Amino acid sequence: MTAAARQAFPASLSFLGITVAGLIFLPLAYIISLAVSTQPAVWTRLWQTRIPELLWNTATLAGGVAIGTLILGVSLAWLVVRLEFPGRRFWEWALVLPLTMPTYVLAYVYSYALGIGGPVEHIWQRVAGPQSHVFSPQSYAGATLVMTLDTFPLVYLLARAALLNLNVSFEEVARVCGLTRLGIIFRVTLPLLRPALVAGLSLVMLYVVSDFGAVSLLRYQTFTYAVYQQMTGRYDHSAAAVLSLILVVFALIFLLAERWFRRRSRFYQTTGRYRAAPRKPCGLLGSAAITVYLGTIFGCAFLLPALLLLKWTLATIAQGTLDSRFWGFVWNSAMLSGVAATAAILLGTPLAYLATRRSARLNVLCLQAAYAGYVLPGPVGALAILLLFSQFAPFLYGTVVILIVAYVVHFLPAGLQTMEPALHQLTPTLEEAARSLGASAMETIRRITLPLVQGGFVAAWVLIFLQCMKELPATLLLRPVGFDTLAVRVWLEASEEYFQLAAPPAFLIVLLSLPALLLLLARDWRSA
Amino acid sequence: MATVQHTFLSSLVHRSWFPLATALMLSVIDVAIPMPATAADRLVVYSGRAERLIKPVLDAFQATSGVQIDLLSSGTTELVNRLHAEGERTPADVFITNDVGSLEHARALSLLQPLDGKMFDGKIPETFRSPDNSWIGLSGRFWIVVYNTTLVNPADITSLFDLADPRWRGKIAIPNAGSEYLQAGVSVIKATHGDQRTQQFLEGLKANAGTQVYGKSSQIVDAVAKGQAAIGVVNHYYVYRHLESQPGAPIAALMPDQQEGGMGAIVNAAGIGVVARSRHTDLARRLIEFLISPQGQKMFAELNKEYPLNPDVPADPALPPRHSFRTSTVQLVRLGELREPTMTLIERVGLR
Repeated sequence: MTAAARQAFPASLSFLGITVAGLIFLPLAYIISLAVSTQPAVWTRLWQTRIPELLWNTATLAGGVAIGTLILGVSLAWLVVRLEFPGRRFWEWALVLPLTMPTYVLAYVYSYALGIGGPVEHIWQRVAGPQSHVFSPQSYAGATLVMTLDTFPLVYLLARAALLNLNVSFEEVARVCGLTRLGIIFRVTLPLLRPALVAGLSLVMLYVVSDFGAVSLLRYQTFTYAVYQQMTGRYDHSAAAVLSLILVVFALIFLLAERWFRRRSRFYQTTGRYRAAPRKPCGLLGSAAITVYLGTIFGCAFLLPALLLLKWTLATIAQGTLDSRFWGFVWNSAMLSGVAATAAILLGTPLAYLATRRSARLNVLCLQAAYAGYVLPGPVGALAILLLFSQFAPFLYGTVVILIVAYVVHFLPAGLQTMEPALHQLTPTLEEAARSLGASAMETIRRITLPLVQGGFVAAWVLIFLQCMKELPATLLLRPVGFDTLAVRVWLEASEEYFQLAAPPAFLIVLLSLPALLLLLARDWRSA
Repeated sequence: MATVQHTFLSSLVHRSWFPLATALMLSVIDVAIPMPATAADRLVVYSGRAERLIKPVLDAFQATSGVQIDLLSSGTTELVNRLHAEGERTPADVFITNDVGSLEHARALSLLQPLDGKMFDGKIPETFRSPDNSWIGLSGRFWIVVYNTTLVNPADITSLFDLADPRWRGKIAIPNAGSEYLQAGVSVIKATHGDQRTQQFLEGLKANAGTQVYGKSSQIVDAVAKGQAAIGVVNHYYVYRHLESQPGAPIAALMPDQQEGGMGAIVNAAGIGVVARSRHTDLARRLIEFLISPQGQKMFAELNKEYPLNPDVPADPALPPRHSFRTSTVQLVRLGELREPTMTLIERVGLR
């Protein structure tokens, strides 16, 4: 290979990186330009009609879930880090399991459980008389409950990690200076946890404002649901674009807040005189009370819903209603997710490689641009991609290609987050050695870089694959007509209240989410 | 932790996962791009009508005619958007919906082609066709009030406007604003009573419904049967279908606005049109001929307890006889042009 060719390769790689980043960033740019260029009359109309209600609903939901997850997350983290009781190690792991439940699955289980004639009402009527009702799941309370139970592990994980890294000497000093125990919690421990908690809460808020599954099944009007309704109910998409832009701004705020505070939460003094707090053993009564508390939360957020899904799934199998159509949905999901994950890895590789190996400003910028998918909640991403395709590549409209593009844009960021560290761990000297021994750039990548980063890349692939399996709103809006996936089936059956029929795909999704969770935790368990 | 994970995962896959994955992707993309239908006697039907309600009829046509039918079911508005976006490349030959407003909108976008009116004389009344026969109604559907017989005295409701009365606060279930027949219903009210009165009505309805806004009308009837809501606004067949599967359910249907000088029950129709770009116009015409024949009409209407439009075909005996109630005089063809202003009104009121 000539010197000129060696030079040309990185240049073409840069070009590839810029192209990929540009393509990934395009939907976001398009939706912004569309919303900005929408007639002022549409803005005024929406401002007078939908926006105030949606703002209020979204903000109060985010606020309620924030309070709920804060209380649950911090108290649970405190219990498993600072106290010693039988089964502590089990709970430490078990409490993250609710993350395997997509919001639409939990929402559908709760709309059955809390619904009229549901099990909770039966129990309640025995206590409070036959005419009494429990609160409706299709309400603010219902949406807050479901979203809280689904997202508290995010706060729990960050609070737990922060507590583990907290130097106990701060608290001891406070103690020596005469603070009461409660005083220490509120004036020393919690302020020290603040960055971690704000990061966790921002993540929760990002989840809440981007969520479509729960709010649509519980018929709670937020921006994502409104965008979906505009897209399926109107001929003109300009109003959907306006609502989308507001949603993007929300998501961006929470994403940046999360990044900012997560970085700040790492500036603890953890070296030198660092000592971890000793775990305080609990008596019999204390242990029993803690177990009841943990068990209730774990039962509501994971165990009972999972058992109910299992029961319904077994009943469906026993009735023989689990037919070949079901395996068709499994195949559709697996095929789509497999292709999308592969495409995302192929496209993400040059970005991650350039940003870690040649961290010129342009390359890092490309990587940042590829994170655009994070601030494009499902329905918004779907809207942007739908409009882009129908304008520039209408022959692909209504094919799975458009859906795969949506998946790649949406989930590439999660993949990049796994691929980047894998590349970072590989020291460039190995590559330099290969080059100095006469290997070409291409050969170095093939023989040195790829084999060494393979593990991280496979992890990223699995992660994207499983996220795609769960994806609901974009699939619902962009799938070829009649092309259903597991997630779509859960939603369709559940929204018609065929609870039992929705169970087998839902159960399968929960099972498949387990390995993704393990991968994420393997990355974050210690450091979070 | 990280190293453990890497070796574990590396052992799972063969070294050459990269080319393998690429090959897989290429092969799937190959499958993903649909081939244009090549067979000569094949019709692609886009249907906004639920698959359960249309497939048996199309199967019957396929069996008698030998024409292969490819059915794509989806939301009505989504399908109009889709036909529009696909433009000249659309594979669709025929478009079936449950809402004349959407058909008329498709006609206005030049997505449908006019047919020869003689074909329908004596079979489908002119009021249920577009003036140039670009679309043809197939069955009639009425907007009615469903009420829980243990919770409501039917004498309290004579008009849809009664539902805006604050006495029903929290007791009414309504379809969401994306529902095409809610939009059609509001269009008719607006054309009959004007903007202001319609707006007041919708505001009252919205306040009374609260959070009971449903995506599916079957859920509304279900909610009324369970007593979760006392009253619902739905198309008539949802009630009769529910009563057929659960004869003891405490629900009944009520035809509103029957008083002298009243608006009359709001009518809409399921209908069909031939897509402008279709290359199988003859086959499409044969399908339509089948659907307006006594046999086709009977099947089409009975599957969903709707009213056949062919005057020679009697309606399901469980339904109130067609001439026992008065219907709105607003022409169906106006539903197309009324739709945008109606949507603006619905949005101004803030219906979901």
